[in-house]
Amino acid sequence: MKKTIKLVALLSLLIFGATSCSTTNIDEAKGNTMEEVRPVILVVSFGTSYNSTRDKTIGAIERKIDEAYGDEYDVRRAFTSQFIINKLASRDNLIIDNVEEALQRCIDDGVTTLVVQPTHVMAGSEDDDMVQTVKQYADKFEHLSIGTPLLTTPQNYRDAVKILTDVTHSYDDGDTSIVYMGHGTQHPGNITYANLQTYVDEAGFGDRYFIGTVEATPTLEDMINKAEESGNDRVVLRPFMIVAGDHANNDMAGDEAGSWKTEFKKAGFDVECIIEGLGEIPAIQDMFVSKTSEAIAAL
Amino acid sequence: MKDILKKMLLTAFITAAVLTSISANGTNESTESIQKQYAISFVDDEGNQINLDESCKRVIALYSAHVENIYFLGAGNQMIGGYTSAIYPPEALEKANYTYRGDAESIIAADPDCVLIRPFITSKAPQFIEQIKMAGIPVVSLYPDTFEDFPIYIEKLASLLGKEDQAEVLLKQFYENLDEIHDVTSKIEDKQTVFFESTDANVRTVSPSSMPAKAIEIAGGINIASDAQPMVEGSSIASYGVENVILNADNIDVYISQVGAMNAGGNIITVSQRPGFDTIKAIKSGRFYNLSEKLISSPTFRYYKGVREIARYLYPDVMDDVESYMNSDLCDKATFADIIMKMNHLPLYSPTSSKYYTKTILGHKYGFFEDVKWNDEDFDAIESAVYSGLSPFTTVGEKEYYYPEELVTRDMLASTLYLMSDFEKMDRIHNINDLGNCSVPRIVQKIVDHNILTLDEDGNFNPKQIVTEQEVIDAMKLVLKTK
Repeated sequence: MKKTIKLVALLSLLIFGATSCSTTNIDEAKGNTMEEVRPVILVVSFGTSYNSTRDKTIGAIERKIDEAYGDEYDVRRAFTSQFIINKLASRDNLIIDNVEEALQRCIDDGVTTLVVQPTHVMAGSEDDDMVQTVKQYADKFEHLSIGTPLLTTPQNYRDAVKILTDVTHSYDDGDTSIVYMGHGTQHPGNITYANLQTYVDEAGFGDRYFIGTVEATPTLEDMINKAEESGNDRVVLRPFMIVAGDHANNDMAGDEAGSWKTEFKKAGFDVECIIEGLGEIPAIQDMFVSKTSEAIAAL
Repeated sequence: MKDILKKMLLTAFITAAVLTSISANGTNESTESIQKQYAISFVDDEGNQINLDESCKRVIALYSAHVENIYFLGAGNQMIGGYTSAIYPPEALEKANYTYRGDAESIIAADPDCVLIRPFITSKAPQFIEQIKMAGIPVVSLYPDTFEDFPIYIEKLASLLGKEDQAEVLLKQFYENLDEIHDVTSKIEDKQTVFFESTDANVRTVSPSSMPAKAIEIAGGINIASDAQPMVEGSSIASYGVENVILNADNIDVYISQVGAMNAGGNIITVSQRPGFDTIKAIKSGRFYNLSEKLISSPTFRYYKGVREIARYLYPDVMDDVESYMNSDLCDKATFADIIMKMNHLPLYSPTSSKYYTKTILGHKYGFFEDVKWNDEDFDAIESAVYSGLSPFTTVGEKEYYYPEELVTRDMLASTLYLMSDFEKMDRIHNINDLGNCSVPRIVQKIVDHNILTLDEDGNFNPKQIVTEQEVIDAMKLVLKTK
């Protein structure tokens, strides 16, 4: 039996190795040919080197978009983090385009209609850089549309609040504070987190649902203070990030000093961590499909 | 193995004698220089005859291991600049930074009386080195190719700095430390098998003659990749591959992955997500460890700590035995840190990049306690316990204190115990009379309700009461049972 497991493992390794060398066009299996020059939806993500997480988050969003628009569009992938792109190339032989490479690939393929949909949470520096880069190529396409990040309109915020509270409903037992850990940024877009808290408050969850950030404000200390004020004895921590990567595993749920889990425990709370990225939530995936739809409509 | 020290010192003695002889015979020297007696005279590791009239007082060291060893030799004040990636000891970061990738003029302008390099630098930046030599600055290239060359390297380094006596003491202690580890592990009959990952790209391991491979041997482990061939002759990195690891999945008791700037293996998440790696015995049993390359692949006096870490991973119950603390002595915070480290089998905390020095974790920066210095006996245990979040410290203004001699109270112990495990949520059971005097009442309530610490006959917790070393151990054993 053990030999069977090993054979399966080796087989999957070979399959993994073979697929990992493929290009970033996830439509290849459909047998589309270059002559058709189909329009393209380029899904742009920060990226992650955690393979299984990537598949469950970024991959899941891409698949949802592909399910919705794959008959008409090629759905392609690009990452904005060159560090992650390089790491995946050297470690896994997995080649992923950065935004410029993906745009150039579209040009080389003769693509005339391009929709760019980011999987960013907010309009921060990553999104700004992506938009700026795409705009430099604007004259290379007959039709170009850039989608918006997850939290852009008031309705986006309301939808997000409903999703964030729905997926943690089973923890909301009257003695639990539910704390979402966002990334945070020095970019003015950091106001997004405070805005989201406002919508959380408006929806009537403000006494037990709190939105913090790991690198900006609101801070961990702010979150501990809010949890103290709530009078609840238990805290559930969950990342407010598309991917549950290093920040979720280490900064949020790590056992070391300074992690959110440790610091909440030091304050005496019972702490439970849910290490699932927003990208794993079907309703969040659907929001990105809607945003893609809006971007297509704007062509 | 008792004889690691004897063998090394004998080799060092013979080599030194030969070198002295070569120097005295003046194979590459003019008649004048043969006749002149130099205070410092040896052949460096690129074959250059080094002759100096006096020990160096303004050294620039362009290799992190040189920097570290200079400080161990007590010559930090004779160094005016270090290599950019030198991160240990913490005070070395206060020196000016230089790199062979930069401009030689900046080094020449600093007016050093010696630039310490290694042969790798000459091969990477020959013009850079030539420029420094042309400026009349002595360049000394040192690097021990093998573990056996370590004492020779240290003696040459020490002679440059006039620290020969210190080197002798340190080398003796270094080999005694290794002997002590080997004495313990050699008596263990059930030997553990280990795979050492040096890079995550292509899952490479280390060559049999490398320092990590030697460390596994001293630590009493069986290296599953002992037949791995070096990538290129003389390299410490060796090919192994995913397939070989998976084929040995059932036999790998412990999986060690090196981390650092030069060579880095994967972490637990990236390793376990590789297809088939979840079948590896060590991954399934949670015996995966990251180990800093600075501790295990770098020729420094800290190498024995890396060896000891591997021994701890392989034989945790033996290496982390706390029997010596089973007594009624009052527990101070230094001992507390050691007990925390051993009982929880915490890995030795050691930074792998300079970012750890710029990153303050809730008030603490590695190596910056006012009352715990890097060469103190308790330094490693204290930093490891603090970075695990299990031991408290104090910040006064911009200064940090650990207070190693402070005695541990029940209050302090309760917080540590609570952080050691995830306790089941439960309704309040006990009424604690003096709960209001506890620093974190919620924690004390839970620790008492879970019967980890008990109340006195009057229903008081007595938060300020000092605990003995045995009380600490007994309570931690109870917590570990809940995990």
